[in-house]
Amino acid sequence: MSDVLRRIEIPIALTIIATLLQVIPYYFEIPALESAANTASNGVLLVVACATFIGVISIIQVHGKRIQRQSEGWYYSLLVIGLSVIMALTGLPFPEAGLGVNNSIYNWLFINVQTPLGGTMYSIIAFFITSAAFRAFRARNLEASIILVAGTIMVMGNAPLLTNTFPFIADMSLWIRSVPNLATMRGVMIGAALGSIALAVRTLMGIERGYLRGGGEE
Amino acid sequence: MAFLIAGRIFGLLCLLVIMASVAYYIKQAQGGTVPKVRRIPGIDAIDEALGRAVEMGKPVFCSHGIANLRAATSGPQTLAGLSVLSYVAKQSLRVGAELYVPVRQPEVWPVAADIVETEFKLAGRGDEFDPDKIPFLSNNQFGFSSNYIGMMMREKPGANIMIGAYWAESLQLAETGSRIGAMQITGTANSSQIPFFLVVSDYCLIGEEIYSAGAYLTNDAPLIASLAGQDVGRIIAVILGLLGALTVTFGSNILLDLFAM
Repeated sequence: MSDVLRRIEIPIALTIIATLLQVIPYYFEIPALESAANTASNGVLLVVACATFIGVISIIQVHGKRIQRQSEGWYYSLLVIGLSVIMALTGLPFPEAGLGVNNSIYNWLFINVQTPLGGTMYSIIAFFITSAAFRAFRARNLEASIILVAGTIMVMGNAPLLTNTFPFIADMSLWIRSVPNLATMRGVMIGAALGSIALAVRTLMGIERGYLRGGGEE
Repeated sequence: MAFLIAGRIFGLLCLLVIMASVAYYIKQAQGGTVPKVRRIPGIDAIDEALGRAVEMGKPVFCSHGIANLRAATSGPQTLAGLSVLSYVAKQSLRVGAELYVPVRQPEVWPVAADIVETEFKLAGRGDEFDPDKIPFLSNNQFGFSSNYIGMMMREKPGANIMIGAYWAESLQLAETGSRIGAMQITGTANSSQIPFFLVVSDYCLIGEEIYSAGAYLTNDAPLIASLAGQDVGRIIAVILGLLGALTVTFGSNILLDLFAM
């Protein structure tokens, strides 16, 4: 029995059924299939919700071991587990017991810890862009020189001081954005969409097995 | 025709033609006719990156992106990233590289862990598999990003392979990898992130190249042949683009009406 359940055909068949259940109702009005697709979608949501616990287990495994071994920076792991437990407990959906999203501790942690940390991580992208731009804006060859010139015009085109004095810079910037840039991006998008369709066909035919254990080797 | 949803018929026709052409080339390949595929330097460089990491005595990081498997546009990118992970895991074991796989989506974690574990088992080293090296970091985008950056700063990987769907964290991760001197191979089909990857990576897979990676790496004839099927879609897109430009220029909306069918 266990040999049968380990067969590679089972995940392939499940993938094919799940894919067809989503694709066919998009093009055809078949109420029975639509209902089946909705049921499958709800089932997926359930699986995803259960998978959250797998994530929690992984966090506890990794950080728990670090605390146990007192590895370098183990106190950060303690902080991660401690705060995760507090957030999970205070966020439990029992409003009558004072828990849930309106709980004061949960709210305090969300507003004063999670939100500023997320904001900080997002804002430091500006520094990463600066250092990446410093590296990119070097005229080492023809391609890099084109990037340098186009990038400089784009930066200048977004500076009102310059566009007010030299309106043609705004026009050049707009042209770069709406002609060569847009054409390239559309090319990439069409190519990516076609690649995605080909991947779907390979998956439906059961020959794309890279996502399965060992590329489908048994 | 009432059961066909209006406005989607032409899209369905195009999809069927592309699918048929992909299936046709796969069948041809099964009969022995395999088309030639151009080299993709970014994919060829994976072995070099792993070898470099081993020589330097440093680990390898391989990420399949931050998307789940369900989303219509980013799900296939995760699938492509997992195909690359499968190859990287196999090669890492072959050359003796220590592999880390940071994961953002809890639902993808079992798949990634299973891929790596199976490679260990296939290599006859199942007992050496360490799930701690496939850590679930956080399902918060910047929680994942800060964790990944921290891991890179601590472990100082010799190679950082990131192929899949990335958004705002793409530059944070790739720039950190660049600062610590890791050889970086990146790839995404998210057009807004490609410029960032291009600037800071040693090799970058652009758009559709990431979907070809699985086929390219396995060198399996039917998979390689399916790439030729994509070209039929590309030819259709070019013809429709040219026809659209011409018909609109001459004041006709015939193609627009056709698309709206």
